[in-house]
Amino acid sequence: MRRLIWLLGVALAASPAAAQNVLKIGQIEAQTGPNAIYGYMSSQGLALAVNEVNKAGGFKVGDKTYTIQLMASDTRGDPKEASIQLKRMLETDGVKFVFGPFLSNVFVTVEPYAKQFNGKFLMMGGATRIHDFIGTPEHDFLIRTWNWDAGPRGFGNLMVDRLLKETGAKKVAMLFQNDQGGKVLVDIYTPLFKEKGIETQLEMFEPGTKDFSAVLAKLAAGKPDYLFPSYSDAHLYDIVRQSTEGNYFRKFFLVRGSLGPGLKSKDEIDDYFVYVPKYFEQAEKTDPKVAKFIADYKAFYKRDFPYDQAPLCSSSCYDHLFMLIAAMQKAGTVDDVAKIRKELLSMTYEGLWKIRFDEKGEEIFNFDVVRLQRGGKIGVSSIDVQ
Amino acid sequence: MLQLLVGQTLNGVIVGTLYGIIALGVTLTFGITGIVNFALGEFMMIGAYVTWYLFDVAGLPFPIAIGPAVAAAALCGFAADQLLFRFTRNNLINGLLVSIGLISIIEAAALLLWTTTPKDMGYVLSGAVRLGDTSLPKMKLVVFALLAAVMFLTYAALSRTWMGRAAYAYAQNPEAAMLMGVRTEGLQSAVVVYSTALAGFGGALYATLYSLEPSMGGLYILKGVEAAILGGIGSLIGSLAGGIILGVTEAVGSIYLPSAFRDAYGLIFVVAILLYRPSGLFGAER
Repeated sequence: MRRLIWLLGVALAASPAAAQNVLKIGQIEAQTGPNAIYGYMSSQGLALAVNEVNKAGGFKVGDKTYTIQLMASDTRGDPKEASIQLKRMLETDGVKFVFGPFLSNVFVTVEPYAKQFNGKFLMMGGATRIHDFIGTPEHDFLIRTWNWDAGPRGFGNLMVDRLLKETGAKKVAMLFQNDQGGKVLVDIYTPLFKEKGIETQLEMFEPGTKDFSAVLAKLAAGKPDYLFPSYSDAHLYDIVRQSTEGNYFRKFFLVRGSLGPGLKSKDEIDDYFVYVPKYFEQAEKTDPKVAKFIADYKAFYKRDFPYDQAPLCSSSCYDHLFMLIAAMQKAGTVDDVAKIRKELLSMTYEGLWKIRFDEKGEEIFNFDVVRLQRGGKIGVSSIDVQ
Repeated sequence: MLQLLVGQTLNGVIVGTLYGIIALGVTLTFGITGIVNFALGEFMMIGAYVTWYLFDVAGLPFPIAIGPAVAAAALCGFAADQLLFRFTRNNLINGLLVSIGLISIIEAAALLLWTTTPKDMGYVLSGAVRLGDTSLPKMKLVVFALLAAVMFLTYAALSRTWMGRAAYAYAQNPEAAMLMGVRTEGLQSAVVVYSTALAGFGGALYATLYSLEPSMGGLYILKGVEAAILGGIGSLIGSLAGGIILGVTEAVGSIYLPSAFRDAYGLIFVVAILLYRPSGLFGAER
């Protein structure tokens, strides 16, 4: 009996040592909700990457092998819920690496709290508003996992250039939600269009709006060439459908949101000009890494691959976990976040995307522009911003 | 500009009938049970999701999908009445609290079942009818016709059937109606179930026009209550008129004023009317 108690004691004493070889990764993303389009895919991709790492027996840093424990619960896009989850991760669970958030309203809510932990953890999120804080004092914890819109390599800038070159558009109507995300888009794109001599019209709509007929009719009366709507599929489905049914707009220009709303109304639209981090349908045929990712996704989730949403995996998702592990291996530590950050910022990673970060910690990756035209005809151009 | 105004007035009329069907449920329930059922928007959501499921997932034709959707809303309404509302008859505050609690329960169940990610139902009827330079989607016209027909049928049933007249009698003088042999318990339950069925029918039609989220009911019950108050609580025609006025005010207001405050335009109009007619446009003066 004594021997058994002794053995149990040894086993219990050994278990904390085993726990040290588990790396906790947190994620604060909206997996469901009206604005969950980005968070949903990020949570799917990260869970898949964690499964692959653990299935392979973990990863080595120095002479230790680590497996990953993913702590990802659904914020539903609610900043309060995200704050509670982040607090629990940082204070109770001792998480040092947090993926997300993608939503700007969530980020601006958690930012004052998160910066108290500056230097103690890394937050790898895609939120547009992260751009305003990254590289500023007390914000070394930030890494932005999405291309910035403006500037010479900015994807928005390149998208507007392309719109101008390919269509000669002279006037664009912007229709955004009256919230943090919508206002950021107004601030970025109004000067971008102006610089290139494109006239703009602007209307904001109330969150929760379902019938857009009146505002669409009002915008259409100004006879713009393209409608540049919203940033989430929740509204885009309603906007695209009502635009075409009411004969207000048949040409769309998008820098947020997916191909889905355009495909659903493919026989009603004339042009659906959309920024897509990767056009998976085409990449699957030419890139073995993409083909493997799709096969792994189907096997892991036991369902069809969401081609229309998968491009959003470019943000805080699959590649970023492998990139983080590579940075840890180069830094020789899983604890020293400053060293790991330095390695992340100095590396170029070739995964599903070719990814690197600028000196502030903002991501630069190549992307695709997809033009969907009436009847479902699709044209894809790859843009190299490296 | 005239074309824009005409187009949006017509659109406002159509959208307003959706507010009107909820307002009709509100006014019926209040008249007979003495409570404002704020959970009616949730029964609309049930009708909408069941329709989406049967049409998009199960592949049933839309006219067949409507029946089970309305039945599901009515069945949930019956359960809510027997388990909850039965104990709050003619008690406005208790009824209000129970209906608010019910909103949380139904919404939480919808979140579990369908998550908050919006569902966008496939086209039931595509294309638009052109009236001069104005285009009106065919489905919106069908929705308007069906909702208006149901509202007028309800009006006819209430004025021409024994049950309808009993309901009117009870609304005017409950004691006298009871003495005349009206079975009040059954009548009240029937009205609660019918108003939830109406909301379910509204939801089934809503699903053909807009994407669905579990929180959709909250917005529509507010519009329904606004429309019922504007038209005058107790007036069936007032419900339809209140809904249409609200829809037109929002649509036309959005043309001339920033659309970011769309919901406020209808509310300002309601307040302005109530200052002059506290019982609403069609409500009986006291």
